[in-house]
Amino acid sequence: MSKRIFQHPAESQTGKRYWRSLGQLQDTPEFRQWMQREFPQGASELEGNDVSRRGFLQFMGASVALAGLSLTSCRRPLKNLVPFTKAVEWSVPGKALFFTSVMPGRNGGLPLVVTTFDGRPVKIEGNPLHPVNKGTTDVWAQSSVLDLYDPQRSKEVLFGGRKSEFSDFEKELGTILKENGDGSGLAFLTDGTVSPTRDRLMRLILRKFPKAKWSSYEPNGKDLELAASGIAFGKGSEVVNRLDRADILLTVDRDILGVEGDISSVRGFAARRKVEGPKTKMNRLYVVENRYTLTGGMSDHRLRLAASRAGAFLKALAMQVSKLSGDQSLAALAGGLKAGDTKFKDKWVEECAADLWEHKGKSLVLAGHRQPVAVQALALAVNVALGALGKTLEVRRAVSAPTDSIAALAEELRKGGTKALFILGGNPVFNAPADVHWAEAQAKAQTVVHLSSDQNETSSKAQWHLPAAHYLEQWEDSFASDGSYIVGQPVIMPLYSGINSNELLARIAGVDPDPLALVRDTFAEVTAANGDYTKAWAKALKSGFAAVISDKSQPPILNGGDIEKVITASPQVSVGENDFELVFIGDSKVDDGRYANNGWLQELPDPVTKLTWDNAALISPAAARKLGVDTGDVVRIAVGEKSIEIAALVLPGHADNSVSVALGYGRTEVGSIGKNVGVNVFPLLTTANSRYVTGVSVSKTGKRHPLAITQEHGALEGRGADLTRQATTQEWTENAENKNFFKKMGIDAHAPTNFSLYTHPPLDDVHGWGMAVDLNSCIGCSACMTACQAENNIPIVGKEQVINGREMHWMRTDRYFASEGGDEDEPEMVSQPMMCQHCENAPCETVCPVNATVHSEDGLNVMAYNRCIGTRYCANNCPFKVRRFNFFDYNQRSITNLYRWNLISEKGTPDSIQMQKNPNVTVRMRGVMEKCTFCVQRVQEAKIAAKVHAADSGVQPRVPADSFTSACAQVCPTEAIVFGDIRNPESRIAKLKEDQRGYRLLDYLNTENRVWYLARIRNPNPKMPDASRAGSASKGGHGHGDAHGHSSSQNGGHA
Amino acid sequence: MANIFPRWSNWLPFKIIFCLLVLGGGVSAGVWYYLNPEYMRVGYQPSQPVPFSHKIHSGQLGMDCRYCHSFVETSAYSNIPTTQVCMNCHSQIQRENPKLQPVRDSWQSGKPVEWVQIHKTPEHVYFHHSVHVNRGVSCVSCHGKVNEMDEVYHAESHSMAWCLTCHRNPSEFLRPVSEVTNLDWKPSEGKTQHEIGAALVDQWHINPPVKNCAGCHR
Repeated sequence: MSKRIFQHPAESQTGKRYWRSLGQLQDTPEFRQWMQREFPQGASELEGNDVSRRGFLQFMGASVALAGLSLTSCRRPLKNLVPFTKAVEWSVPGKALFFTSVMPGRNGGLPLVVTTFDGRPVKIEGNPLHPVNKGTTDVWAQSSVLDLYDPQRSKEVLFGGRKSEFSDFEKELGTILKENGDGSGLAFLTDGTVSPTRDRLMRLILRKFPKAKWSSYEPNGKDLELAASGIAFGKGSEVVNRLDRADILLTVDRDILGVEGDISSVRGFAARRKVEGPKTKMNRLYVVENRYTLTGGMSDHRLRLAASRAGAFLKALAMQVSKLSGDQSLAALAGGLKAGDTKFKDKWVEECAADLWEHKGKSLVLAGHRQPVAVQALALAVNVALGALGKTLEVRRAVSAPTDSIAALAEELRKGGTKALFILGGNPVFNAPADVHWAEAQAKAQTVVHLSSDQNETSSKAQWHLPAAHYLEQWEDSFASDGSYIVGQPVIMPLYSGINSNELLARIAGVDPDPLALVRDTFAEVTAANGDYTKAWAKALKSGFAAVISDKSQPPILNGGDIEKVITASPQVSVGENDFELVFIGDSKVDDGRYANNGWLQELPDPVTKLTWDNAALISPAAARKLGVDTGDVVRIAVGEKSIEIAALVLPGHADNSVSVALGYGRTEVGSIGKNVGVNVFPLLTTANSRYVTGVSVSKTGKRHPLAITQEHGALEGRGADLTRQATTQEWTENAENKNFFKKMGIDAHAPTNFSLYTHPPLDDVHGWGMAVDLNSCIGCSACMTACQAENNIPIVGKEQVINGREMHWMRTDRYFASEGGDEDEPEMVSQPMMCQHCENAPCETVCPVNATVHSEDGLNVMAYNRCIGTRYCANNCPFKVRRFNFFDYNQRSITNLYRWNLISEKGTPDSIQMQKNPNVTVRMRGVMEKCTFCVQRVQEAKIAAKVHAADSGVQPRVPADSFTSACAQVCPTEAIVFGDIRNPESRIAKLKEDQRGYRLLDYLNTENRVWYLARIRNPNPKMPDASRAGSASKGGHGHGDAHGHSSSQNGGHA
Repeated sequence: MANIFPRWSNWLPFKIIFCLLVLGGGVSAGVWYYLNPEYMRVGYQPSQPVPFSHKIHSGQLGMDCRYCHSFVETSAYSNIPTTQVCMNCHSQIQRENPKLQPVRDSWQSGKPVEWVQIHKTPEHVYFHHSVHVNRGVSCVSCHGKVNEMDEVYHAESHSMAWCLTCHRNPSEFLRPVSEVTNLDWKPSEGKTQHEIGAALVDQWHINPPVKNCAGCHR
């Protein structure tokens, strides 16, 4: 038999095409290289500035010589076993302990369960008992465990930059408080974290010092939304969006599934995307936005529109709704909005409004946090007209007490007379609006006390800096988004003797500063537990939360008059056709800069742009052509007299006269991970234009800046339509009886099944592990990637290594754009999590010369790291490009120190980072291959538990259905990933893999994957002008009409 | 001109090469044969801070292994007892024995006794005690006759090949779960280990990882 070469069929150039990047669309040589090679040319050669090849050989010679010398100390190292002196309650060496806790944030607290080993918190999961997240979490909760162990966290009390003692601070605090009897010289600035105990202490302090000033600041907070709801429904009220009840959703410049939402909105949306068959009623999502966001990616209809034009859109929509409802007052309200030209895509607005009206009471309109109060208030008025109130839109008393703005505080400070300013968390010197001139205002206060977990830009300008405790180190509390009270118990003693803001405030308020007592008192007050609340407290600690009796006050009434006042007072903001607007976006990773020193977040590719270790100016392809720039070209963005220089990133689907830049980069005083990463955009941000600004000029500078974008890494032989299958509800209904509708799409429709050259051991275990990924509910948030990183001890590699394609993430989230005729302006977007497919006929196993990667009886493709000699044949033969190679000793070296020669460079991981490592997963060394193991440590623990349970009873040991899951499936906020035992008919995976939507990637290769993807269903409104563009089943890349372009593959074996 | 080198020197390079090959081969064979856990680890007997005698406690007094190694049935690790466990008895017995001074010091100061580790599993190996002892693998199979040791030494090699002798043939080692901590257990009259073991393998559905690397390497 002659050599059999498999030619991957070429992708059809007609019909709808799927592409990862503009490079793929244009088929550039750079892209071909990424696709055809495992790593780019030369990636395996040493490069970098400090070591040449010749130098390396010289070093090698020396190292051999030195190795001879070191042989003399070839003794078995003495290791000690150190038991406890007294046994610790619950502690069993080698077994994990779980504690309920909470991650407080500005959108409320996220209920957690923290896994600890020997007193070290190692992994964070959601609290499975809590209705808000049901055991799921997000990117930030997952990575927060790394913040805890950050070796560059603030560790000492500083006075004037020098080490001091907490007792000295207490003395000074005593003097300050004595001198300020009525509090007229006291001022407080907090971040927007929802904390009932902090609010309680605030009330106590304001009672004791009635003239004290209290402000809060969150650059990406929802203060404008709160202002709008306050105007519409009365002061102190806030709105709760019930996405789970909405059939029709319209978001206007609101990334509700991304940075402008929380886990309850994501879960509410996804609950309506779980489909069992074509008859299941899905929700429909209309999105109006200036750039592609996760929300836009999930949309059924998308309109790209500059953020400053969103008001005009809402005005037009309100007019339409008013016409349909006959409610003239809404038209009158909308008519007052000065929004410029409202004539665009009339049919789009008309049909969208009709759809919303038709589903009256089950529809919801969401305006972005970025929009002016008038626009957001108008959106609330539209919702009221649509009958959303009490159904899809609920109004409640705001969970956080209202405070003043940072601008008001700065004004007060400038007047002088402030004796002491307490800044609790946050970093206003870095991220306050430029026109506030915060650093200058802060200097007016006699004493500035800054409590912060890192020494940042604000700390260095404060007299006193106090190290803050991580939320896992101290008692905390918060409200979940459903209003329930969550208790956060500490799971580790403060590593660096930090205190939390409650302790500091209690000292000022003159109450017992014991953090436990503070939270317990709040608990008693909030839950109104009468009499003996110890039982209720114990119960709350065990379950992690306590229900709060919500106030059933009067149903909210829309205050039309006040809205009208705001609307008429609102100035016109609209971008012209020829100039740009600049949109400030809260970053999906570092937020407002607070997470800048977290390596996991810096290296996580942005869900949409796939950019790591940077921020960039996102512009549309048309704008890029107009400016004559390409991705990586540095542009100058000028607002008035101020300007920044930042690399451009061409993003398909972006509005043409708009530029979006993520905030939070360009930190200067931060640990080594986040220092000087990206560009600081805050200097362009002002109080009046804190979310977007119009009249911006953008120009080319001629400089280049390398961006580490992973979108072309791991490109599969390029048929996106086969990899991410989708259909519209209509197409699915027409093919409801066709079992193979999704399975035989595209290439699989005509490529005959390949026969297999590969063998594997008999898969005769009672278990068989498999995974299903529902593309219909996957929003692409990448929480799975971070969870995988935390669970499996995956190192970060740094920007330079990412550019070389050496990122170590075991799973990636592939993002595809899809359009007909190569349309770059308005493509659709699909996200697809991609991990080892655990092929039963695995191509990687047959090429391993040392049997380091083999198959197990329960269907895992396993890696034995200690056998691996690093030939990388397996990665070359993997059709899914999911194998990762340790080019350097990423676990032993800091990312700036990778190229140094072994004997002269520092090796070793900081102690605190070692504490984070999962003890059940091997930390890999240089030169070995690694990949997704389906969390084999969890599989083994479950199997061992089943065997221990069976013991000598004679029962066949069997893991109960769905009794455990992989890290990615556990974190997934939309429950899109399901892991389990395909041999157990009771398990969810066994049912899902038989789903009509289920298909396997590159099935014609006959690799028999153990990962099933469930096809994406789009639910377009057939009346909409762009309805024909949605979906792809019938017009996917490889329709039946075109020629069979796959050469010789099926018959090639006999030539 | 006379020959500078005598005739015999013609063969000299070949002889040297031959000798080097033999020597090199000998060294390689020696390393290959002797530098493995069977020779490098068996018999390792460090002196401990307290000369604790398993022979007295487990052999003569008949204490069960699990009195001190209390979590062996539930955890991956067989724990070293806390000072508290020692003091359960030794606050009454042998109160003046100078050998026990480190234990009393530890109890007073709260600082633990630092025992020297003897059995060390490599970091890429995940051994789980509870799954072995709950499924009829006796302590004696891996640790030897600890009840006859005055100070514990490394009795078995703990190499991968050694692990596999049992994983491939569990019937040669299994015993009733109730006899796992009885280090002197012998198959009852008239029965061989193989007969008992084979019956247990069948009855308990014993199926240890043999080819599945992930059974021990994660």
